[in-house]
Amino acid sequence: MADNVLSIEGLHKSFGGLKVIDDVGFDVRRGSRTALIGPNGAGKTTVFNLLTGVYPVDAGTMVLDGRDITRVPARDRVIFGMSRSFQNIRLMPHLSTVENVMLGQHARARRLGDLLYPLGLVPGNRWARAAKEALEDAGLDTYPGQVVANLPYGVQKRIEVVRAMVSQPRLLLLDEPAAGLNQIEAQQLLALLEKVSDSGVTLLVVEHDMHFVHNLCDHVAVLNFGRKIFEGTPAQVNEDPQVREAYLGSDTAMAGAAHAS
Amino acid sequence: MDLSQLPQQIVNGLMLGGVYVMVAVAFTLIIGMLNFLNFTVPALFMLAAVLMWAILEGHGIALDLTAITVLLVLAMMAADRLQHAKLPAPLKTGAALGLAAAACIAVWLVISLKPGDPVFAWLDGAAGKSGRWVVGIAVALFTVAMLSLLIERFTYRYMKAKYGDATEHALPLVSSLGFLIVLEHTVISTWGSDSLTTASPFGHASFTLGPVLFSVPQLISLILSLAIVFGLSIMLRTTKLGRALRSIAERPDTAPLMGVEVGRIVPVVYVIAGLLCAIAGILFTINYTTVDAYVGDTVATVAIAGMVLGGLGNVWGAIIGAMLIGMVEVMSIYAVGATFKKIPIWGLLLMILIVRPTGLFGHTAIGKGKF
Amino acid sequence: MSGYLESQLIILCLNVIYAYGIFLPAASGQLNLGAAGFITIGAYASAYFNMSGAPMYLAIPASMLFCAAIAFVIAFPILRTRGVYMVLATFAFAEVVAGLIINLEFLGAAAGYPVESHADFLVVVPVTILVVLLCFFLMSTRLGLAMRSIHDDEAVATLFGVDVRLAKVAAFTIGAALMSLGGALYGHHYNYIETQSFNVLLSIYILLYVLLGGTQTAWGPLIGAAFFTIVPETLRQIAASSGQEWIADTRFIFFGAIIVLMMVFRPEGLITRTLIDRVAMPFAGGRGGPGGRSGPAPTAKIA
Repeated sequence: MADNVLSIEGLHKSFGGLKVIDDVGFDVRRGSRTALIGPNGAGKTTVFNLLTGVYPVDAGTMVLDGRDITRVPARDRVIFGMSRSFQNIRLMPHLSTVENVMLGQHARARRLGDLLYPLGLVPGNRWARAAKEALEDAGLDTYPGQVVANLPYGVQKRIEVVRAMVSQPRLLLLDEPAAGLNQIEAQQLLALLEKVSDSGVTLLVVEHDMHFVHNLCDHVAVLNFGRKIFEGTPAQVNEDPQVREAYLGSDTAMAGAAHAS
Repeated sequence: MDLSQLPQQIVNGLMLGGVYVMVAVAFTLIIGMLNFLNFTVPALFMLAAVLMWAILEGHGIALDLTAITVLLVLAMMAADRLQHAKLPAPLKTGAALGLAAAACIAVWLVISLKPGDPVFAWLDGAAGKSGRWVVGIAVALFTVAMLSLLIERFTYRYMKAKYGDATEHALPLVSSLGFLIVLEHTVISTWGSDSLTTASPFGHASFTLGPVLFSVPQLISLILSLAIVFGLSIMLRTTKLGRALRSIAERPDTAPLMGVEVGRIVPVVYVIAGLLCAIAGILFTINYTTVDAYVGDTVATVAIAGMVLGGLGNVWGAIIGAMLIGMVEVMSIYAVGATFKKIPIWGLLLMILIVRPTGLFGHTAIGKGKF
Repeated sequence: MSGYLESQLIILCLNVIYAYGIFLPAASGQLNLGAAGFITIGAYASAYFNMSGAPMYLAIPASMLFCAAIAFVIAFPILRTRGVYMVLATFAFAEVVAGLIINLEFLGAAAGYPVESHADFLVVVPVTILVVLLCFFLMSTRLGLAMRSIHDDEAVATLFGVDVRLAKVAAFTIGAALMSLGGALYGHHYNYIETQSFNVLLSIYILLYVLLGGTQTAWGPLIGAAFFTIVPETLRQIAASSGQEWIADTRFIFFGAIIVLMMVFRPEGLITRTLIDRVAMPFAGGRGGPGGRSGPAPTAKIA
């Protein structure tokens, strides 16, 4: 058996009568940078939501680092070494940058003593220091005390990555990290993610920007209408007729896509 | 317990329920569409009841309150025009400040000159003392309708959901509480906080049917209020306006995309809800002849209970729920005494909210999202 | 200290304690319109324990525990409700409490209930200071951070391992205990309680103190309660001393108008995070100005 940090098998999910995820299964190799791509509405974000426990699965199993997490409550999955960022920025608008990052530490600080530790009253305590260091490593140390609501979009995106990283995940889920970023911001993010990957963390990325995927990822899984239609290297993706059809559309696929939207 | 009194108690319960019904429907309209508990409902109910009382008792100063309301609404409308006008920013700020100053001066002039008295004297001369109730109804309805336009601006139009966080939906609730305080204290500073009594303009007309005594004004009120709320619910089902209202209630985000002019519809809802409160308040004064600045609170708490019972945002639910609560109230007073009535009503309500928050007939979509 | 100032100080202290009791759930996004219910329970429980022979300094903590136990039990069903449903459920709870107590003969029913031991301002003021310090402490902890995160985005807080229900129940229960403390002190100070003193209006005003003060920082309820207690009273004093009666008559009209205007122009309350940042208070974690740390970034790996 290969060394997989995540294995998904036979995943099913329906909303109402609509099958959103239909028998999806793939593995994520340890240390890899896997991309999960597909046209709009293919079910990529739903896979993330199933993985992190936002929705319960209808059927299928998800194994994270040898542990079956299918029935584990959402708030405990982060302890097992999985953390994520969001498609639309979901930082806490009323918290400062450092406080947002400290929220990421929560999974490692759930004992009563940690919960009642006065983070705000002890200057330079280890949690705050760790959070600041993580921000510095990401080149974001210029904004530690600011309320995040007022920060630029690209900076907020990177703070999300830092927040997810301080929970010390083995697998980092990134939901469209490059969406809405300009070229420079995308470059900064790419540098950050490469650094993250080099530190031994496995990346699973949902992304539309194929250029970004080619630059970052070494493995690609393609979803279309809730099914996995391809798995392979980024170079192979462009060659695959099914993938081309899903993106560019044959007549039938076009009709289906129009119907779905 | 004397069972021979039971039919009479049932009738009394129905009569009381008639008052609650309109207030409950007013609450439920706003909750259903805009998802907040509108505390201006008791305020408008109380204001209409007190204005009705004031006119019946010949207090021309009531018209000053109407005048102030109209002035403020005009100022708001002018401000809206100003906002959309193509003017340089400093000029706009200056004009806005000037407008605010003009409104303040106008309100101050109304307060100090009391133009309501001569106007009222003239109206009173034209309508005659026995016709005062007509003037009272007109003044109460008009004032409340105007005030509803003002309230709409400050509880809906000027509110901005910035982050969509958990307490943000409280903003219109808090504004409406502000209005409640303003209106209650306006009445208190004008007429004091004691009970205000008047004689019913229709005397004590009544008839008996078997063992049951019917008061004619009460019976007419009940029929009127039921006719109004039934008419309203039919309107919501059948007319174009009703469809627009329901589309906003169900999908506030997409309704504008479907061509529903939310900006025009919402004030209409406020005015409808306000008029319901006003009619209830007017009927309350005519039937129970005693009002005070806090009368809205008492009625509204029970109406809220009725609304929850029927399911938030559901007009038919509010009607049936309010009638039921009126019945429970009268019955528990009759059976175990007045101090005990809170336990069955609120205990029932708490149970419903926890066990079946959709009420008897409600649907789940409402009250969970953002305004 | 003059009798007048002392009595005003007591009112201020009680309002501050009540406000913190509503603030804790509000900071985690729960609107509690049932303050009167918890205050009533606290006042009556402490008075009853006191009557039954427990000295005041035991009766008050006992009443807090009693109220916290009740709050803990009802928190689970009540916190399942959200938004307007939660407002209504807590409101209904307060009404049930008032309805129950007014029918309990051994608590004096409608006639009110006398309270034996007296608590003067030398008790009330230090206790209030302790409550304020406790709340500042709580909001600075990781639990406070979790509560504020839940306020902003419950779903994301869950995904980062926050036990949302636990945090909400904790905030609700501790808040209830504080309100019960306030109620108990009320009873012991005035030595007489009746359910009518703790009515819906009290719940509404306390919620307003908190929301107008601001729910983002522990300063909010303190400033909110102080502002809205002191300003109307000062206006009344000014009216009395200057003979301008209209000020006293109309002050609440202005109060209401300020509330309405605040919701438009400053919807997050008087005291916001950004305001605190601007006056640079060293609370809340790991603060440093922009570029607070200089020198080369350490080469340690991320996290």
